[in-house]
Amino acid sequence: MVWDWLPEYAPRFVEGISITLQLLGLSIFFGMMLAIPIGLVQVTGPWPLAWLARAFCTVIRGTPLLIQLWLIYYGLGSLFPFIPGIRESMFWPILRDAFPYAVFAFTLSVAGYEGEIMRGAFKGVPKGELEAARAIGMTPFQVLRRVWLPRALQNVFPTLAGEFILTLKATPLAATITVFEVYGIGTIVRQETYRIYEPLLFVAAIYVFLTICLVVFFRFLENRRALPRI
Amino acid sequence: MTTSSYAIELRQLRKSFGSVEVLKDVSLAARKGEVISLIGSSGSGKSTLLRCINLLENPTAGEILLNGETLLLRKGKSGLEAANRRQAERFRSKLGMVFQSFNLWQHMTVLQNVMEGPVRVLKRTKADVHKEAVALLERVGLGEKLYAYPSQMSGGQQQRAAIARALAMQPDVMLFDEPTSALDPELVGEVLQVIRALADEGRTMLLVTHEMRFAREVSDRVIYLHNGQIEEEGTPDQLFGNPKSDRCRTFVSSIHS
Ligand SMILES: Nc1ncnc2c1ncn2[C@@H]1O[C@H](COP(=O)(O)OP(=O)(O)OP(=O)(O)O)[C@@H](O)[C@H]1O
Ligand SMILES: [Mg+2]
Repeated sequence: MVWDWLPEYAPRFVEGISITLQLLGLSIFFGMMLAIPIGLVQVTGPWPLAWLARAFCTVIRGTPLLIQLWLIYYGLGSLFPFIPGIRESMFWPILRDAFPYAVFAFTLSVAGYEGEIMRGAFKGVPKGELEAARAIGMTPFQVLRRVWLPRALQNVFPTLAGEFILTLKATPLAATITVFEVYGIGTIVRQETYRIYEPLLFVAAIYVFLTICLVVFFRFLENRRALPRI
Repeated sequence: MTTSSYAIELRQLRKSFGSVEVLKDVSLAARKGEVISLIGSSGSGKSTLLRCINLLENPTAGEILLNGETLLLRKGKSGLEAANRRQAERFRSKLGMVFQSFNLWQHMTVLQNVMEGPVRVLKRTKADVHKEAVALLERVGLGEKLYAYPSQMSGGQQQRAAIARALAMQPDVMLFDEPTSALDPELVGEVLQVIRALADEGRTMLLVTHEMRFAREVSDRVIYLHNGQIEEEGTPDQLFGNPKSDRCRTFVSSIHS
């Protein structure tokens, strides 16, 4: 095995890790912001919204993320330049970059999968606890904010943590649209050094490391909230 | 606003689920400080009656008054709905509901459960509420359990915590829906003791119960509900000692054992 290339490329891997974590963090954040209402409307209605949310989850979960990513990058990305004046606008540098498209695609993916999980989570909160909240005089929003959502999240937190780790391991797909996250950097190394296995091994080791960090982080969150085991 | 000697008043309340009429023209009024027990066989509509009072169930017809103030209702999909959401929320905050299944919020400690309503609904400061909540929990014998989660407590403890949670709102009327029915027999006493203390201090209460002896002891008035109608009402001694209707007599004697 030959590892002499490593010192030279180490800074780029650090950048790659940063890109990977940004992609993951942003998609989880925006994805959950969508997943919560998507899960909720499927339980509360009204039915047209519930139907729409359901359809969204089905489509997202029914198609490969790779295809979604390409459709969004090559499809959406190729439409924007036709908008008059957009090349001169302040948005152009963002629209030209592949990273936002990756965030968008991964956000939709998280929204689809976690929307389905949140639907079950909202449904699983005992009705009596919601009634107790209403009976004490809470507004519908307070019921959601203080009881329904935290109870739902509490129930599925370990499931969500597992899902987010799966999402981490899907991030190399972003390399196919020129987002140079960890795997993308690995590819560059392979091309430039003609080493085949070592960069791959190294990339694998990074994902193991990141996974362990995430597991520890999620466990910390779970314990910090001092959740009672039910 | 009219002043009324009634804390809570129901006028010609009706409730149907689909085509089934569960409450048929129920009227009752509780004076301030009065303890009224509702008894009746399973399915007679006792829970539905209590749940209509704070609009957990939408009545089909009727009027609800709290301290003489009429709850504004309007026709909706599932019956009469709150016409003014804020008013309905204010009504609810003054009606302390205690459920058969406790319904404590499982993600909060007992203390948080008790503080939640005063802080979030009544918008009082945490520091203020904290002292009161601790005092309330001590009063129901849970001074040692402030930081326990509901899942770590016995049914009797949970129900006492739920009563403290309702009391923390300083309600005008307490509504109890079979507060001891889900408890193991040996835990019933501790909860009844708390409820008895509330009755003794002059709280207005509507109490649905199967504990006939207890109802006889604490109530000022007992109402026997049958098929969604008030079949008989009177003082505990009248109703338990010398019921007029045969059905009530049969019911009372079957449960008295
Ligand atoms: N959500 C509902 N949908 C349809 N029917 C209902 C609903 N809730 C209650 N009912 C019916 O209304 C009737 C009265 O129910 P309710 O729960 O008020 O009786 P109860 O007197 O409290 O009985 P129990 O002593 O068993 O608690 C029953 O026949 C019940 O089946
Ligand atoms: Mg009942």
